[in-house]
Amino acid sequence: MLAAKKVVILGDGAAGTIMANKLRMLTHSSETRIVVIGNSKKHYFKPDGVHIPFKLKRYQNSVKPTRFLFNYGVEYIFDEATGIDVSQRTVRLKSGNSTSYDYLIIATGDRFDYNEIPGYIGEARHFYDLQHSLELANILDSFNGGKIVIGPSSIPYQCPPAPYEFTFLLDKYLRDRGIRDKTEIHYTFPLNRVFTMENVANFVNRLFDERGIITHTLFNVESINGLNKTVTSIEGEDVKYDLLIMVPPHKGQKMITDSELAGPSGYIDVDRHKLSYKDYDDVFAIGDATNLPISKAGATAHFESEYLANRIAHEISGNVYDETYNGEVACTTITGAGKAMTLYFSYDRPPRAEFQSKMDYLLKWTSADTYFSGMLRGIM
Amino acid sequence: MAEEIKADKVVDARGSFCPGPLMELIKAYKEAKAGDVISVYSTDNGTKTDAPAWIKKSGNELIKIIDRNGYVEIVMKKVR
Ligand SMILES: Cc1cc2nc3c(=O)[nH]c(=O)nc-3n(C[C@H](O)[C@H](O)[C@H](O)COP(=O)(O)OP(=O)(O)OC[C@H]3O[C@@H](n4cnc5c(N)ncnc54)[C@H](O)[C@@H]3O)c2cc1C
Repeated sequence: MLAAKKVVILGDGAAGTIMANKLRMLTHSSETRIVVIGNSKKHYFKPDGVHIPFKLKRYQNSVKPTRFLFNYGVEYIFDEATGIDVSQRTVRLKSGNSTSYDYLIIATGDRFDYNEIPGYIGEARHFYDLQHSLELANILDSFNGGKIVIGPSSIPYQCPPAPYEFTFLLDKYLRDRGIRDKTEIHYTFPLNRVFTMENVANFVNRLFDERGIITHTLFNVESINGLNKTVTSIEGEDVKYDLLIMVPPHKGQKMITDSELAGPSGYIDVDRHKLSYKDYDDVFAIGDATNLPISKAGATAHFESEYLANRIAHEISGNVYDETYNGEVACTTITGAGKAMTLYFSYDRPPRAEFQSKMDYLLKWTSADTYFSGMLRGIM
Repeated sequence: MAEEIKADKVVDARGSFCPGPLMELIKAYKEAKAGDVISVYSTDNGTKTDAPAWIKKSGNELIKIIDRNGYVEIVMKKVR
């Protein structure tokens, strides 16, 4: 009997976990070994980060122990990849071990590079991880009016709608506390509109106008001066603030750059339809780790995993799989208190932003449960 | 005859979708020095409006927009 093919997945976040569990359901362990290497003890459902600062959700329900999230038959190794050698088909690990593979799937996500913006550390706040969301909850508690400036500092960043979702919830929170009339909300965005996709930008802009939210477009953050409370853009605009909430600059993992799989940005160029790296048919990247021109979102990781798990399962069992990944994403985004809208799009089909509903908000509200019990498990 | 401008830095963002080309241009701008000429190639339609808007707002100089075969070339000078 032939030895089982070894599929090594680097990264234990949304993409790595969905990929491993989906592939496990499509393959038999006698034919396919699935090994996940990851370095996070807890798996945090990041979309709840827009609710936690307003104490709309208890964070305890948004976190689960990582190692319990893999289906039976997936081998999980708590370790960290320190180098990848695609010519030798090996991955070096922090523990000193190394592992070989027949297929490698890189799902190491991205990281925050605070040092990219002088003055960021200690001055700007954000809600892009659990610790900072909890800190922001305390800061908002003691906020009694003034000028709040919010925005992504640069592009790319995870979940493009998250900053405007947060802003809508902030507007509602300030109204509920009776301090909206004592507060100015300013929204900054790197492009010459308030969102990447034009029709969504127009939609959000209208909602911002209705709520009196002031916008600053073509605003890529250059530096922050905590002494005179000013954020300055590369374009030369200064905006004063009392409270600054800035999505930090994102980069791919340093290990990816060090392994020469990507340039300084750390994001891996993959074939946009096959998700494969360069000419290698045994190396792939999914999730936030790629340089693909689509949202860095769990929803993207979900669609990519569906494609890739099917492709690898077919190949291992000797069958042909002639589908491609076409950039499909479906994403439910908050557009106000109790309102949300679901956007469907792909590489060549922009989303249609027209319909918000309570039902979509309910979908969003319960998404941690759906995520942990269904999506991550690979059954959706 | 049109005068050819020699770019100090060429950003080939062909094949990349919005906002990729603009972000590539901003990255090149950050690394360039005042006086440098930067040229960006893009196949994305949005770049034709996004890049000039950014160049104007950032106080730099838009030298030219050239329609090439299947892509657009935008040439700017870093002023500040
Ligand atoms: C505030 C916020 C709101 C969001 N809202 C939404 C939403 O509504 N919908 C949506 O679809 N998406 C949303 N997202 C985005 C979504 O959470 C991410 O896109 C998703 O987590 C990406 O998955 P990933 O597996 O690629 O990366 P991650 O989830 O970041 O996982 C990467 C994993 O790899 C591990 N790792 C890194 N380096 C190594 C290494 N060298 N060796 C081993 N392991 C390593 C990390 O520890 C991590 O566990 C949101 C994100 C934020 C921050």
